[in-house]
Amino acid sequence: MTFLRSLAAAALIGTSALTGFSPAVAQETVYAAGDTTTGTYMDYMKTVYARAGNPEITQIPLTSFDKDFQLNALAAESWSQSEDGLTWTFKLRPGLVWSDGTPLKASDYIFALQHAATTGYDFAWYWGYAGGIKNWGPVTEGKADVATLGISAPDDLTIVVNTETPKPYLPGVVSLWYPVPKHVFDKLGDDWSTNVDTLVASGPFMVKEWEKSNNSMVLVKNPTYTGPWQPTVDELVIDPSLGAPEVGLPAFMAGEADFAYLNAGQIPFVEKQFPGQITKNAVFAVSYISFDLESAPFDNVNVRKALAAAINRDELTATVLKDLAIPGKSLLPPGYPGYNEAITSQAVFDPAKAKALLAEAGYPDGKGFPEVEIWYRDQGGYNGAITLPMLQYLQAQFKDILGITMNIKILPMKDWMDGLTGRKNNLFLAPYEYDYIDPSNFYGIFYNGGRHSHHVPAYDELVAKADSSPNWEDRAALYQQAEQVLIDNASMIPVVHPITNAVVSKDLVGEGAGPNKLGFTPLRQLALYFYTHVDKQ
Amino acid sequence: MILYILRRLLSVVFTFIVVSIIIFLMMHAVPGGPFDGNDMPVSPEVRAKLMAQLGLDKPLPEQYFRYMWGVLHLDFGVPFQSPGETVLQLLGRAWVPSLTLGGLGVLIGAPLGILLGMAAALRRNTWIDYLASAFATLGLTIPVFVTSMLLILIFAVWLGWLPASGWGKPEKWILPIIAYATIPMATYARYTRSAMLDVLTRPFVTVLRAKGLSERRILFVHVLRNAALPLVTVFLPMFIGTATGSIFVEAMFRVPGLGAYFVSSIETRDYALEMSLILMITTMFCIAYLLSDLAYALLDPRIRRRR
Repeated sequence: MTFLRSLAAAALIGTSALTGFSPAVAQETVYAAGDTTTGTYMDYMKTVYARAGNPEITQIPLTSFDKDFQLNALAAESWSQSEDGLTWTFKLRPGLVWSDGTPLKASDYIFALQHAATTGYDFAWYWGYAGGIKNWGPVTEGKADVATLGISAPDDLTIVVNTETPKPYLPGVVSLWYPVPKHVFDKLGDDWSTNVDTLVASGPFMVKEWEKSNNSMVLVKNPTYTGPWQPTVDELVIDPSLGAPEVGLPAFMAGEADFAYLNAGQIPFVEKQFPGQITKNAVFAVSYISFDLESAPFDNVNVRKALAAAINRDELTATVLKDLAIPGKSLLPPGYPGYNEAITSQAVFDPAKAKALLAEAGYPDGKGFPEVEIWYRDQGGYNGAITLPMLQYLQAQFKDILGITMNIKILPMKDWMDGLTGRKNNLFLAPYEYDYIDPSNFYGIFYNGGRHSHHVPAYDELVAKADSSPNWEDRAALYQQAEQVLIDNASMIPVVHPITNAVVSKDLVGEGAGPNKLGFTPLRQLALYFYTHVDKQ
Repeated sequence: MILYILRRLLSVVFTFIVVSIIIFLMMHAVPGGPFDGNDMPVSPEVRAKLMAQLGLDKPLPEQYFRYMWGVLHLDFGVPFQSPGETVLQLLGRAWVPSLTLGGLGVLIGAPLGILLGMAAALRRNTWIDYLASAFATLGLTIPVFVTSMLLILIFAVWLGWLPASGWGKPEKWILPIIAYATIPMATYARYTRSAMLDVLTRPFVTVLRAKGLSERRILFVHVLRNAALPLVTVFLPMFIGTATGSIFVEAMFRVPGLGAYFVSSIETRDYALEMSLILMITTMFCIAYLLSDLAYALLDPRIRRRR
């Protein structure tokens, strides 16, 4: 036993000696959560869904949004639209260079989109759907030559974009148009963006270190960057592993992360431990119920309206989804351009009206109503946290108020999408998060079929007019009329707008760390703005 | 003995081939492919082009033989999720942290577990036994992510002695290694205790005591050697299990190891990486069991004679 005791003592002494270390944290470094641990290419124009790190802050887009969602000129110094509305001309600001000293040219932007259009870009739909670039569809389908694409660079500082229809909101759309360094790509192909040694940056930051196993990166100021939104911190350490609240919060508490996203269970604890340090962010998303309008029993408008009237959004978001969502009473989330608060007054919880509508549809107290199944998709992030509890709440509400049995089915993303577009079911819970800041983004979901085979001529006509009208006030009014068509037809039922919660270090200061006019703090949701407008005390 | 080893090596090759076929078929039987899982899947035309580039448009038997031909030449292909490198390069960089973590976890946890088990057996039904048994039971029943969280809260958040997570500097290794070590320590404590108790009650121990041998000699030379057989059975497979990475420990402590690739390769249908990982584990387990069998023979002359 003496031997055992000696060994145990030695182990204890060894452990104590080792525990003498303490973590060193440089004050000028911001430690932040990243997006995905499994991304491959650090090139937004190669892949959006499988991108590594934050190419949004190492490359400079033509324009970008600030925390109040005002459009700012970034690489593009100015832009103008032709009289017929079909041509946009963007003028690049002179003097922009890549981090290897090569001048940044308009042709780098043209190359980026031409390459994207022809090599399986997983975000290709965006440039047809949102950008409406001339010939985008035929080129991406391989039916037309890439040279026929409606983009060109008449000189090093000019980009011309031709669209199929007038796109008054194109300057906002091009906030996701990043350049690709053609001079590097020509030597290395797509692999240029997979290696820290071959990456070149055009934006405020450049990559210094890249730990591939979890895509954590150390980024430093790009010394050649001369554009707006200069970085205010010397170094960023962005680690996607910190994105999981279970990992991020302990790291935050130990001083190893400057902010951490929170799950619902953590919020009460953090409110006590770090009072006043929780920030909320509306992610500009909506979770809504959608139908196959031609499939019974949802081909009856009164059935759809009955469901809409049976949803108590205020109770749902005050109980089951407390701190995770706000009531969704319109397609557009609060604060989003075109959001119409007046229209939300129509989304009223009225059980008596719901019962009456269902009776009018031929199903008094749910008698004779077939068992239905609502399909939702397996997903992580904020949607993963809210969807199932929300559906279980709705399931109970519909049963209690309407006498309807609604079963719930979860599907993998692809199967859910196939089911939605292929009309394999007639009831869905659908999430949608904005891709660009303009009402056309959300209204497009139901335009001319959209993702739901939604064909309502009056709606399509209004959206088409709104999409191409040059005047913002006219557009906003037309979109409001379009939403009224959706409401009257009960084409969809908005249920909630998700929000995210994060705890932010008091050491993090600057415009980027504070809330916007609506009280929301976007954090890395607007990565380029946030990381260039945040400082550390 | 040489014939025995050769026979076992041949069975390793057979197992390797059978596992490769089963895994290959299972991988391709799972719905979806490498370009189906995105939020907004690519168009069918583009998908077809990408599949052709990776040779995934070929018939399954051809894909299998192409892959295995590459394996024969130590070419495990290119991981779809990290196309800038080969599978071997990826394993080379991601395995180092996992091996460090798992290896040190076992090398620290196993001896401590043996000591704990010995102490419990030698002081049976005393507070030492109860404490050791409670510790072993807790170590085996508390999920490792809970242990990890407790370690972070105590040593990083409350005491501030150690970093909560990360990798690189040796001080960042300590907490994940402790979290890792709890499992082998608890496992070994339980195995050692029961094996020791079994041997200590055998007649030959009484004979040795009657001969006047010291307790230390009886314990370390005779009892421990006889109790070692079940420990050998557990040791190498456990070493492999931990050396291939623990997704929970690595995730909790942000260790850039291999653990996450086991999940992500399945999620993203990264066939080349998925196959390579499974084949790597298969080979390691086959060799581990072979070495275990050889160790039995070294420890127990009766087994040597039977062969």
